[in-house]
Amino acid sequence: MRNLSIGQNILIAILGIVFFMLLVTGVIFYTTFSQRTDTLVESQSREINKQIVLNYEGYINSVIETANYVQYASLNLDVNSAASELQNIYLINSEIKRDVVSIFLFDSHGVQILGDPVRDSRRDGIARESWFTSALAENSIFHFSTDNSQSISADNDEQVISVSRSVKYTDTADNKNGVILIELNFRTITDLAEKTNLGPDGHILILNDDDSLIYSSGNYDQLRSRESIQIAVQNYFGGFPAEIDNKVMHMNITPLSQTRWRIVTVNDVDEVAQAKRRMLLVLGLIFIVSGLVAAAAAVAISRRISSPMKLLRISMANIEKGDFYTKVSVSGQREVVHLAASFNSMIDTIRSLMEKIVEEQRDKRKTELRALQNQINPHFLYNTLDSIVWLAESNRTDDVITTVVALAKFFRISISRGETFIPAADELSHIRNYLTIQQIRYQEKFTYAFEIDDEINEYKVMKLILQPIVENAIYHGIGDEQEKITIRGYKENSLLIFEVENTGYGVTDERISEMYRILDGTHEVNSVGIRNVYQRLKLYYGAEGNIIITSKLDELTNIKLIIPIEVPVELPADKEIDV
Amino acid sequence: MNNRSVQYTVSRGLLFLITFLLFFFAAGCRTQEKQTALILYNENDPFIYTFARQLEDLTSDIPNYQLETIDSQNSQILQNEQIEEMAAKGRDLLIINPVDRLGSYSIVKKMKDQEMPIIFFNREPLIEDLKLWDKAYYVGARAEQSGQLQAELIMELFGNDPNQLNQYDRNGDNIIQVVILKGEQGHQDAEIRTVEVVRAFRDRGFELEILITEVANWNQVQAFEKMEQILKTFGGSMEVLLSNNDAMAIGALDRMRLEEVFSDTNGNDRIDPLDDDWLPVVGIDGLSEAVKEIEQGYLYGTVLNDSLTQAKAIVELSEYILEMRRLDGMSFEIIDDKYIWIDYKVFTLD
Repeated sequence: MRNLSIGQNILIAILGIVFFMLLVTGVIFYTTFSQRTDTLVESQSREINKQIVLNYEGYINSVIETANYVQYASLNLDVNSAASELQNIYLINSEIKRDVVSIFLFDSHGVQILGDPVRDSRRDGIARESWFTSALAENSIFHFSTDNSQSISADNDEQVISVSRSVKYTDTADNKNGVILIELNFRTITDLAEKTNLGPDGHILILNDDDSLIYSSGNYDQLRSRESIQIAVQNYFGGFPAEIDNKVMHMNITPLSQTRWRIVTVNDVDEVAQAKRRMLLVLGLIFIVSGLVAAAAAVAISRRISSPMKLLRISMANIEKGDFYTKVSVSGQREVVHLAASFNSMIDTIRSLMEKIVEEQRDKRKTELRALQNQINPHFLYNTLDSIVWLAESNRTDDVITTVVALAKFFRISISRGETFIPAADELSHIRNYLTIQQIRYQEKFTYAFEIDDEINEYKVMKLILQPIVENAIYHGIGDEQEKITIRGYKENSLLIFEVENTGYGVTDERISEMYRILDGTHEVNSVGIRNVYQRLKLYYGAEGNIIITSKLDELTNIKLIIPIEVPVELPADKEIDV
Repeated sequence: MNNRSVQYTVSRGLLFLITFLLFFFAAGCRTQEKQTALILYNENDPFIYTFARQLEDLTSDIPNYQLETIDSQNSQILQNEQIEEMAAKGRDLLIINPVDRLGSYSIVKKMKDQEMPIIFFNREPLIEDLKLWDKAYYVGARAEQSGQLQAELIMELFGNDPNQLNQYDRNGDNIIQVVILKGEQGHQDAEIRTVEVVRAFRDRGFELEILITEVANWNQVQAFEKMEQILKTFGGSMEVLLSNNDAMAIGALDRMRLEEVFSDTNGNDRIDPLDDDWLPVVGIDGLSEAVKEIEQGYLYGTVLNDSLTQAKAIVELSEYILEMRRLDGMSFEIIDDKYIWIDYKVFTLD
């Protein structure tokens, strides 16, 4: 995080917040929705199941009431003496109840006593029919059987449910055991089941106590409902979600009272599950879309904040490179604009401070320069006046005149109305005057020559720059043999080169390096001379101004002065220079 | 840290640890508590109401025995839901008074699957259903016994000699003319009580003439209404009124008082069997209203469904089941590892 830019930080923060909020609200929303639909589905399925079971119970109860009534009548009326009355009760009850196919009373051996005529094929086997045997085996309950689904009545072919129970009846004032059989129309069960809406693939199953299928609604046959039956068998009773045929269903199993049957309702709630899935999809889409929108917004905001910053940073980099003159112009957030303005004013201050420092440095240099220029003159003046005195004593009038005239010219150029820079021609004539004076003084112990390109005459050079070098050449060159001093001036590219060459012994390399050290100021000596020139060159011309010393032993010494043609800074004219 | 503060820190730490352990121990004890659910078919039934209170009282002092009472409001569907919920919550034992006898079939199968023990009471499941699960039990009274005791009460009143009935054989024909008020037609108890009371007379050689068996569905009001016609038809010949339960007996007595069947002929300021036109009426159940009728002399007697002893048996059985102890060590006799039978009691004025 620490290495990230402001923009990236903003992006991450915004995206983080947005995704977090979306995730939290999404999860809460979905779980609430899902829980609510689940409870709704569950309670609805339960209600439907309850309703169906209540319908069946109501139906079963009405059947049992009929059975009880018939049984009560059989006990109170004698089957022998009131046979026709009882037979009427049996027939009327099966007549008026649409769902009751027929009612029979059999004695404990399976011989019919009352009811519709029994079909011949079944008459002799009554005692072996399952409804009969089970009624005798457990006499306290009603037995519901679907084993032999065809009615035993001779007048009827309908599919029936056999409801049987062991009963007591009165036969010639004697209580006897018998079995009552009520045959119910199977269609009634079907009708009760088909009124309910359980969804496209929802269905009702009725299971016997041995878990065999008594009835299944819709087009769910034994094979197709196998999966539902299996789940129902494993779960006995209760409500729970189940997956049947790869569809989400809600199953409710309820035992049907008075029987040991179980009613299984399978509610097809796949649409609800699909709605949940769709909801999840929509939430996902919302998540992605708002994530993208948030990302775009975050990018825009971070750009708006960071781009002026970037501009500022580029400007700062420019300033690092030394450009103090371009102003930073930034538009955007108030803070950044303020920052830019403060930065601009800071740069202004720095620049003016720098300019001030430059000016101070220049003034300082000027003062130093003047001091250096002023150093030259007293020695020379003293020597020259000394030699004029000497010439006058020797009556060498012409030489006196020549010397004095040269001296006068020499000083005029030295002063040069306070100019620091003078044309090269003036500087050279200054040297000529100097050499004239020195030649007289040293009594023709040296000769000199000028080799000057005329094109350099007009270039301005720092004044009094050649004289100390020539002076040096004279002092070091004068020996037993007459020496020759050659002064050259020419232009080489953008440089003016002046050479002062004198014949003589020359100097050793050690001496040359010692001289360079003197120029640098690392070797302290009393003499000013060349070092003075060197310092002035460096002061004014910087790195480009230089002095190069070369020598050929027993032959010559050459000092080359290198001056750039362009003077970097024009110094203001001095009002006066005291010499 | 100086010595004192080290001591302080150590003692504090120890205290904390002990508290922590105690807390866990207590929490551990809590989870050991046995959770039992008592599911009643209908709390509006006075017998069931009394029974539930007795059970609650008996279990309240037993440590680690939590009893939760649930009313099924006479709906097997509701009861199934309640059982489903209890099974889901995981109870250690269910004490169930089924709404529908046959509904027990699915309950037993489900509880076997959940390995949850069950004690049924008041409504006896089919024996084949009860046998489906080792830990399914039934505590109750034998319905046939109530009819037998009813018959014994009357036989004693009539002098205990079938050949020589005393003054209560009003017409002196040595045959007892009876009217029977029957509970719900088809109801197991109604059928058994009716059959058994008659059988008990005949087994002892008493001759019985059943004037009418009237179904009044266990109901006081229905008995009151039906008694009007009975009194009109058989008022003169009736010598005994046998009722399948107390409620119907009280309804009949209400009608008989209205028709002024009883009167204080011996002038002792109360109705009693010594009055000339007094007529024995017997019920079953031992309701508090019935006890009042007995004290006033109208009702001759009742056969008590001994709810307190049944409750005690259930509590003892449940403790044995929860503690996984051998059931033959109980103070109640357990038959076939399934049944505890509680005897009916006879209740009369003396």
